[in-house]
Amino acid sequence: MSFNNRCRLWAFLLFCMWMPSVQADENCDPGNDVTRIAVAGGSITEIIYALGMESQLVAVDRTSNFPAAARSLPSVGYVRNLSAEGILSLRPTLVLGEDDMGPPEVLEQLASVSVDIRTVPEAHTPEGIVEKFKCVASLLGLSEAETSPHLLEMSRSVSVIRGFPELVSNQEDASVAIILNIQSGSPIVAGSDTSGDGIISMLAAGNAFHAVEGWKPASREAFLAANPDHIVITQRGFDMAGGMDGLAQVIEIASTNAFKEGRVHVVDGMSLLGYGPRTLGVAVDLFSDIFPSAKF
Amino acid sequence: MSRRFSREALITSSLLIALLVSVVVALSQGALDLDLIAVLLGAAGGVDTEVLSNIRAPRVALAAAAGAGLAASGAVLQGLFRNPLADPGLIGVSGGAAVGAVTMIVLGAALNLPPIILAYSIPIAAILASLVVTSILFLFASRHGSFNVATVLLAGIAINAIASVVIGIFQYISDDGQLRTLTFWMMGSFGRASWATVIPAILAIAGALFLLLSQTRDLDRLQLGDAEAFYLGVDVQRVKVVIVFASALSVGVAVSLSGIIGFVGLVVPHIVRFVVGVTHTSLVICSALLGASLLTMADLGARLIMMPAEVPVGLVTSAIGGPFFLWLIVRKVPNAF
Repeated sequence: MSFNNRCRLWAFLLFCMWMPSVQADENCDPGNDVTRIAVAGGSITEIIYALGMESQLVAVDRTSNFPAAARSLPSVGYVRNLSAEGILSLRPTLVLGEDDMGPPEVLEQLASVSVDIRTVPEAHTPEGIVEKFKCVASLLGLSEAETSPHLLEMSRSVSVIRGFPELVSNQEDASVAIILNIQSGSPIVAGSDTSGDGIISMLAAGNAFHAVEGWKPASREAFLAANPDHIVITQRGFDMAGGMDGLAQVIEIASTNAFKEGRVHVVDGMSLLGYGPRTLGVAVDLFSDIFPSAKF
Repeated sequence: MSRRFSREALITSSLLIALLVSVVVALSQGALDLDLIAVLLGAAGGVDTEVLSNIRAPRVALAAAAGAGLAASGAVLQGLFRNPLADPGLIGVSGGAAVGAVTMIVLGAALNLPPIILAYSIPIAAILASLVVTSILFLFASRHGSFNVATVLLAGIAINAIASVVIGIFQYISDDGQLRTLTFWMMGSFGRASWATVIPAILAIAGALFLLLSQTRDLDRLQLGDAEAFYLGVDVQRVKVVIVFASALSVGVAVSLSGIIGFVGLVVPHIVRFVVGVTHTSLVICSALLGASLLTMADLGARLIMMPAEVPVGLVTSAIGGPFFLWLIVRKVPNAF
């Protein structure tokens, strides 16, 4: 680690110590009773396991597939399509969800039964991940001593990621396309204002589909015009497409620089786009794949 | 005559009992294991009482109301178009209502309406859109003076195609969250029910049923043909307008609150016709009762199959209704296979 990075790490650690006093979001205030937790959102499940509090989990949603043990818990459906009675049947004392938890009518139903229901804020930045972690830890009423080892490790990754722009300042710009999956022949790509775009920003690279808004199917010609230098595709999308051989059949992908030069990176979707602790590690790994000559 | 009457009364009352039984079963069963009697006696805990009164009861009420509305609309539309295959879903009325509702879901957010107005703007948009579709169908079908069985179905296919294009456009312009909301909304669910929206829906559907029932005698005469009904003293145009309006009202309300729930309007009147015959008064009453109990049971199934998660109820009804539709075609068209 360079001197520069070390300075940044210390600055960040000081910042972290100062942060708890300005805990802005009341959603993160300690829960009254955290003995039975229902979670809607894979990254929150991941954080609860990382904190060693998994024995308090009574239910998760379908996006909670990491760690593998979480899959054996009762599933209350998809994070945006929860069932009020299904959740209540597990008698949770606390319902924790990502900010896209829904539908709103079901949240209202849960609130009307006076269940402690909290939405954990999400921001598509490295600091946003740390904040999410701290929010969950604070909700569970954990002390600083219990969380600081994790925070220390995460803040190291954050300061590494925050050093990326400087590391690539003397390198050629790299354009990256993040593909969720290939639906009826069209790759679904991350445009601006998406979780995927946040990852590309972390990597100090350019989004090949910056002009697109949201997750959209890219037309063949738009994809060829964008001609990304790197393609990042989710493991699920990669498997559904039939692996490298399958991608070779998708003409707009096969014609890109990225595919021809063998710069297709396959990453687990939830670890890439879930904005849980794993996302920091994935960003660091992807950076060293995309800029192999940059040293940090 | 009296024997016929008592038979109809017997069937109607047994359907009424069946509806009561399914409502009680639907109220007592669910993901949350609660004791219905204890709750009713006030002996249960707070959570059980609140789940029953604020979550389970409104959804059972909505399922029953939507089932009654869809089945009764199917019955009268089949009579009006003199077409046994007229189902609100097949001929595009549900699709039209869905376009209205989806428009509001996607654009309503941009209009920045307060939530309370937004909640009612979706049903109103759905009713208006299904009214437009029913009127268009009606114009198509009656253009040459007489209804044509094939024209109605073909027009329905075209309207469904247009509806899916419009919905597709909205899916394209919607953001990630809206898109996923739409996808699940389209599959149909009663899980979003709350008393604030269910009570107006029940009143609207009850009003529509009342309007439909006021036209059933004239609808019977209309089966002889427009001219024949006219000579029997029927105000043909008024009958048609009232039926179009009332069925659009009940389908629009049902779709706007619960998404697209297919085949109820097709399957139920057919089963009822086997038993009570083709008189529209008893057909509409019995269809409404049977539709209500079937959809209550289908929703119970949707709640229990993948407990504690839920299956979209539209998938349950289509899984039953699709094969039934095929069977109907095989039965009606001897050379289909």
